[in-house]
Amino acid sequence: MAPKTQENRLLATPLVLYLLLLLGFPSLLNVFYSLSDVTFETLRTPRLSGFGNFAAVLSDPAFWRAVWFSLRFGVLTATVEVALGLFLAVFLSPLLQARPWLLALLTLPIMIAPAMMGLMYRLVLHEFVGPLPYYLLEWFGNSPAFLSPGWVFWTVCVIEILQWTPFALLLFHLAYSSIPADVREAARMDGARGWRTFRRVELPMLMPTLALAAVIRLIDGIRVFDNIYVLVGAGPGGSTTSLPIYIYTSFFRGGSLGPALAASVLFALAAFAGLFLALRAADRRAGA
Amino acid sequence: MRSTTIPATLAFLALATPGLAEVTVLGWPGGPEETALRAATEAYNAREGLADEDRVELLFTSRDGFYDKLAADLAAGTTAFDAHQIATYSIGRYAPFMTPVDLGPAAATTFGESVLATQQFDGKQFGVPTDLSLHFLYYRTDLVDALLADADAAARYTEIAQEHLGEALTPKAPDEWTWRDWAATALYFTKAVNPDSPTRYGTVLQMKNLLFNIMVFQSLPRAYGGDWMDEAGNVTVDSEAYRTGLDLYKMLYDAGATPPDSTGYEFAEANAAYASGQVATMVQWNAAAAELTDPEKAPAVAGVTATIAPPSGPEGRFTHVHSLGLGLNAAAEHKEGAQRFLQWLATPEAMAIYARAGGAPGLTGAALEAVVGERPDLAPLGEYASRYGYVMRGGTSANALAIYQLQAAEFTGYWAGTQSLDQALANTTKGMTGFLAGK
Repeated sequence: MAPKTQENRLLATPLVLYLLLLLGFPSLLNVFYSLSDVTFETLRTPRLSGFGNFAAVLSDPAFWRAVWFSLRFGVLTATVEVALGLFLAVFLSPLLQARPWLLALLTLPIMIAPAMMGLMYRLVLHEFVGPLPYYLLEWFGNSPAFLSPGWVFWTVCVIEILQWTPFALLLFHLAYSSIPADVREAARMDGARGWRTFRRVELPMLMPTLALAAVIRLIDGIRVFDNIYVLVGAGPGGSTTSLPIYIYTSFFRGGSLGPALAASVLFALAAFAGLFLALRAADRRAGA
Repeated sequence: MRSTTIPATLAFLALATPGLAEVTVLGWPGGPEETALRAATEAYNAREGLADEDRVELLFTSRDGFYDKLAADLAAGTTAFDAHQIATYSIGRYAPFMTPVDLGPAAATTFGESVLATQQFDGKQFGVPTDLSLHFLYYRTDLVDALLADADAAARYTEIAQEHLGEALTPKAPDEWTWRDWAATALYFTKAVNPDSPTRYGTVLQMKNLLFNIMVFQSLPRAYGGDWMDEAGNVTVDSEAYRTGLDLYKMLYDAGATPPDSTGYEFAEANAAYASGQVATMVQWNAAAAELTDPEKAPAVAGVTATIAPPSGPEGRFTHVHSLGLGLNAAAEHKEGAQRFLQWLATPEAMAIYARAGGAPGLTGAALEAVVGERPDLAPLGEYASRYGYVMRGGTSANALAIYQLQAAEFTGYWAGTQSLDQALANTTKGMTGFLAGK
């Protein structure tokens, strides 16, 4: 095994070097600045200031509001996207088997840049120029104010779900199609039908894909930026401020470079811890 | 083959070789400011007797992150440009890396003192104000005229004012409006308040959490005597003036006098709402005038839209004003040449060229008269700026932009109902105190 391990290490070296160079250096610089008193004017001559930036961020209510928004948004959108993607993959399976080109149509939304999505909905939902409020007013005499404080959270969630459910559908369709026919045949021979086959046979086989889709969508949801920022900015009173939006506005609009970078370091640590725990749980499950 | 290669190479070398220009000016890219600066520079370079070392070359970068890149460049002591773009709200940030400029005696007669003040910091002139931005009150003349001519409508107006503002106001001509008259008019033209209103909303407020929207709001508390700081440097936003202004906005929002989506509106959305013909009045940047009075772009309102200065308050009538301008890089290699160019830009002759090419300078006196025939929109710009223009105390400080951003976050939170007025003002005071102390 030893020569094999050595070979593996050797083969992994370019990747590790690449990561160290392109991710490691900026990350280290990020950590250094997060411990410094720094402005745009003193980028070349920052002064180390200890953990003051971290204390400032952790005592900032806006930071915790952003954390709460990101978590809520990430968990909610990931859950709905995975559930909806799974349902569509199973429900549309016969259709997609017969007409595979439909999948290309259904996955079109993921080709659109999220910022463009935000811009598009800024027009679509505008009370005076948007088609949606126009027809709602025409047909029902009333239209919700989609971007008002009471609706805006649900509006941005729906937009995210509409764009990224096709991604989950794609993953589930591939996984569902690759379940061997003889497994289903064996289940049928044993008398299992419909829902029971799905629950007892197909779903367990889809679990790795389900976990993967959930993790990817959760990470993407938590780090949401473009579509929300283009659509509504940081929101009234910061009500649509995700963690990346908090970092961006602190850095560029507030000029608080140190605290913004401290928040980004905390974000990275939390993401790393979350990923580490998820992998450990997956390992344990595989071991069991 | 060879016969075409050699001339082509020579032509390429001729283009690639630096020109005779010695003074480099970093301008504001895109839009009418760039076109106007190019026209003025061309005229300057064509002047007879101009020394080679005084010729001006222009440099433009992307607008995206412009001011942050500029800050990093200036701090690093760049010599890539001798003069550069600045704005009222960012002068304080760049002042340590700039040299005050002497615009000569012509400047005051070209622009007037209040416009020149938009490019001053710590009592020193740091730039020549090339383009002015301020606010107009846009209103529908057809609707207001009908209201003034109808006794029954006036009675209903008074009822509405009594109910929502606690005062039996009567309709007045827009130029006499106080902020409370404007609010009463906005309520009267709101369907949710007055089902007979010809428009759905009486006004459209820009309440998105965005620093530029807060600039639009400032003139309201200012008319009640509001300021950012007192003379001793204490933050004074937690005042009756700001409370009155913030409350008036919230009352209008809660009463449905502005679209419920207004908390996501900025310049473009507000213009679209007004242009639909479903809004009676709007306080908006002067830049919207061209669009809203163009029958092709705004057919529903172009012929019936008038503009005046924002309403008045107990302390007077005000319009928030800021300018874009050009100032001197302290590390410039051709400072004298750049100084001569900026001084020339401050003359009526240069500003006439600049204005004819699409710029929006705030001019006064003979400088204005020379161009007003071709640019009638510049007349109110210069007049309002000199009569009603103001810059908040601290409005050109190093953290002015951060302060506007802070106010945007806190004030929009109050308007949207996510926090109380006391909380919003306490947070703003705390944040501003830190920013103004340079923290």
